Amino acid sequence: MEDTVAVKSPAWRESRAASERVRIRSGIRFSALLVYGAGLVIFFIVLCALFPGQIAPYSPTLMNVDAIIQSPSLAHPFGTDYYGRDVFSVVVHGTRDSLLIGIASVLVGGLIGAAIGAIAGFLGGVIDTIIMGLIEVMMTIPGILFALAVAAAMGPSLFNIVLAVALSAVPGYARVFRSQIISIKGRPFIAAARSVGAGRVRIFARHVLPNAWAPLLVMATIGLGTSILVGSGLSFLGLGVIKEIPDWGTLLSQGRGYLTVAWWMSTFPGLAITLLVLSVNLLGDKLRDRLDPKKNRI
Amino acid sequence: MSNKRKIVRSLPVLALIFAIALAGCAQKPSSGESSAAGGASPAAAVSSASPSAESGNTPQGGELSYALATSPDQLDPHRSGYAVAVRVIRTIHDSLVAQAPDGSIHPWLATEWEASPDGKSYTFKLRQDVKFHDGTPFNAEAVKYNYDRILNPETKAANSQSLIYPYESAEVLDEYTVKLNLKTPSSAFLGNLSQALVSIVSPTAAEKYGDQLTKNPVGSGPFKFVSWEENSQIVVERNPDYNWGPDSLVDNTGAPYLDKIAFKIVPEEATRIGSVQSGQILAGETVPPQNIASLANDAKLQIFKSNTQGLPFTLFINQKREPWGDTKLRQALQAAIDVGSIVKTLYLGTYDQAWSPLTPGTLGYDASLENANKFDQNKANALFDELGWLKGDDGIRAKDGKKLTLRYVDGSPNREKRNDIAAIVQQQLKQVGIAVEVEITQDFRTVIFEQGNYDIYGNSQVNSDPEALRNFYHSGAKSIAASQNLPGYANAEVDALLDAGLVEQDPAKREDIYKQIQQIIIRDAVIIPIYVFPYTVAASKTVEALKFDSLAYPLFNDVYLGK
Repeated sequence: MEDTVAVKSPAWRESRAASERVRIRSGIRFSALLVYGAGLVIFFIVLCALFPGQIAPYSPTLMNVDAIIQSPSLAHPFGTDYYGRDVFSVVVHGTRDSLLIGIASVLVGGLIGAAIGAIAGFLGGVIDTIIMGLIEVMMTIPGILFALAVAAAMGPSLFNIVLAVALSAVPGYARVFRSQIISIKGRPFIAAARSVGAGRVRIFARHVLPNAWAPLLVMATIGLGTSILVGSGLSFLGLGVIKEIPDWGTLLSQGRGYLTVAWWMSTFPGLAITLLVLSVNLLGDKLRDRLDPKKNRI
Repeated sequence: MSNKRKIVRSLPVLALIFAIALAGCAQKPSSGESSAAGGASPAAAVSSASPSAESGNTPQGGELSYALATSPDQLDPHRSGYAVAVRVIRTIHDSLVAQAPDGSIHPWLATEWEASPDGKSYTFKLRQDVKFHDGTPFNAEAVKYNYDRILNPETKAANSQSLIYPYESAEVLDEYTVKLNLKTPSSAFLGNLSQALVSIVSPTAAEKYGDQLTKNPVGSGPFKFVSWEENSQIVVERNPDYNWGPDSLVDNTGAPYLDKIAFKIVPEEATRIGSVQSGQILAGETVPPQNIASLANDAKLQIFKSNTQGLPFTLFINQKREPWGDTKLRQALQAAIDVGSIVKTLYLGTYDQAWSPLTPGTLGYDASLENANKFDQNKANALFDELGWLKGDDGIRAKDGKKLTLRYVDGSPNREKRNDIAAIVQQQLKQVGIAVEVEITQDFRTVIFEQGNYDIYGNSQVNSDPEALRNFYHSGAKSIAASQNLPGYANAEVDALLDAGLVEQDPAKREDIYKQIQQIIIRDAVIIPIYVFPYTVAASKTVEALKFDSLAYPLFNDVYLGK
């Protein structure tokens, strides 16, 4: 291949370079479009979570015996389920819990992970070795399996689900935050601060922490998608909370027995999960590009 | 390039979601795939024809794969309490007598019997040619051993204990004659003896295995136990010596035509039915209502449906927990629940609504209760108001500062859509101002039977005789925390009627007694009957001559695999 390229004329090379530029430019446009789309989707989903009553045409608990298992129509855009509930209304009302599990578990997991990482990274030494050893052990267990075990052991409740998903994400946050702390600890300005007599606590709080949070933010944004997915997965597997208004994972699970006769029961909740996770991931990627010091520094 | 990478990065996420969504409906028929798993190809069926069979034109051999919806708890008949276990137990074990669908009692391992004039003992003459699978001869000693074993607390007998009531002792009169003595006369006794949970196990094996008999069941039935892989399958094989099948139930009283039956345990309903549709499994039980219509139209499949007998699926209201001890309050509850729409919505017309503590077809069933207690929300609201339970600002009724709540416990997994019943009841009761707290738990045995921590719990029981009511409504039955029966019901009149029904010899008078009991139980709003469970099986059309006994349990003696 190398040979054939070498004998090609320079003109050909130029045209290839030009086409590459066009591709990149149109690619950027496409990616920007995707990001705007993702933003729009998230905006709408957050609206659904905040004001479900204004968006859903029916009550999510209204069981209409005369309208069970109806395919999508103008009156019921997502069809109706086997209780005679309007699937669209149930999905809209289920947004809050799905989103809540995702956000809460990222916050809890991120905070615990950051705390562990900060302690290990800043104190170093034996403490670091012990903590990171434990984290390594936790990392050998796959995240979803860990969440499953925690959820099964503690029983179904919203708090337990959040904790299960959060704990499964802790090792990742801890490792990233620790390495960030360690790298900042070695920077000259920390040595400078120490030389003018700043205490350990002050250095940590005023100089290390403010400079270490950016990667964690990116990780949390991308982790949000994973958390929503794991939370929905737990609900799907029947480890979630049985409530009047089910979250998306539960809806997916309830409809799967009907998939051959009524595809819409699990397809639409599934699409909702897909769209949300996809959008969050796209935005997370964008955020990472923005905050990446290697990309933005001159 | 980074944009491309992003999309690629998102793909696994998409894939995972679709994988989750599709996991339930896996095992769709892939075209042209042979049924290697079932192992029941026509070629195998023809080649392994057995020479010892008497009827020459019935295709011999082959393996029937039969998917069960849940795993049996025990294969020791005396210790099991699950209907699903009976489907397997029945193939391995025989009973003394057989009950025909019309309720009449016929010979099986006993050839004839005679009741003493006072009704307190039965003398059975036994077949002399019967051998258990381990070679132990069947005789009067074996019968005595079995029934004494059920009474022995060390056996930890389950449902068999109430089935054998009021059995007291047995006397071996000669090698093939046994006399069973009862505490009181019982009209239910003979019928109950026909049930698989009091069938006869090999005394040698029971002595040898003790508690482990459940993993090594040995009976005298048409099939011998081969293996039990936990949560996967139970295999039984043909008993070539079998020659004592009950002619009142099956045509083939000799050895069965099938070489083997593999009972596959497939709890996931879409998978179970999908495997039957694709031909991987030849038969699957408990077809979901939403699939019955489409399967019935499938040219390759057939649907068997047989209503079970005994107690329908019933919601028991726990009277021992306040405020549900109040009969009027329970009557209001009864009027507030629209059972008709629950059954119609969830079972799409494939299950019948239940109206009584007994199912239609059970002796003494009172058909006059049908449509008697109708859903009436206005009546319910009026009753609640009258009792002083008034709606608060949140729409929930309260009295003396206490909110009207109801704790509804149900088991997991979602068998027969029972969890969905809870969800609908929750919505219906919310409309009249009751806050229903639904708890779905795998550990319902602890919550219900040890702690008694429920206001409503639903249960059903397959049984041959209305005497089954005793265990649920007689104040002497203490199945919950050793202190109360399931509804916490104590009514001297019902107790007396149940005792009278047990000893009454005249069937017409017996029927009358059980009708009175049903009327009282419904009048006192002790329960809310929901549905009669039809046992359904979807099977390939190659499965021929599958029969069901009076309790809707499958009989495999006549089954053969056609083309």
